[in-house]
Amino acid sequence: MASRTKLSGIQRQVLSLYRGFLRTARLKAPEERRRIETVVSAEFHENARNVDHRNFVYIEYLLRRGKRQLEQLKNPDITGLSTLEVNK
Amino acid sequence: MAAAALRPAILRRIRLSPSPSFSQPFAAAAAAAASHPHALARWLSRPMSSHDAHLTREEVVDRVLDVLKSHPKVDLSKVNPDAHFEKDLGLDSLDTVEVVMAIEEEFKLEIPDREADKIDSLPLAIEYVSNHPMAA
Repeated sequence: MASRTKLSGIQRQVLSLYRGFLRTARLKAPEERRRIETVVSAEFHENARNVDHRNFVYIEYLLRRGKRQLEQLKNPDITGLSTLEVNK
Repeated sequence: MAAAALRPAILRRIRLSPSPSFSQPFAAAAAAAASHPHALARWLSRPMSSHDAHLTREEVVDRVLDVLKSHPKVDLSKVNPDAHFEKDLGLDSLDTVEVVMAIEEEFKLEIPDREADKIDSLPLAIEYVSNHPMAA
């Protein structure tokens, strides 16, 4: 039934994490939700563009870090997230 | 004719709160249904209507197309009921996740990951929603 080529385990984990962020964002206030979606979407797309898809070690690190951040975001006392830009 | 079509639409929007003046069985049903207004609407409409409470395929197609058209990255000229998200509409897998979640919200569904992972085209999205008993 599926017309797509089968997703790899790691791809499925990335998409599952992305979905987790978007689901959690839904539970926040509308303005905060939009901000979370923007930040998360930008970060995931940036990594998808820049990280070598075979660099499993780094991808797994990003997944672990993402899951921790998501758990923090799920805390109802947390009203949102923000990012800092560092001038290198 | 119009009234028959209106009836389930109206019933869907009724919310009942349980009241001590009702007889026991109805109170129990109303109590259960107060937290599930759709269930009560279906329970009331079942003896009378056939599939009035369910969405027509045409309505599903129109609404799914609208969801796709609202996604910022979608090429509007390519949107049609046969389109594949990534091959035809230029989306990537992350965008596909966003689209499927937008479809969830449109139809008030929650799609489990293992099902959502399979939805990568309009035909599959339309079929999933059409077959879902809770799609609203």
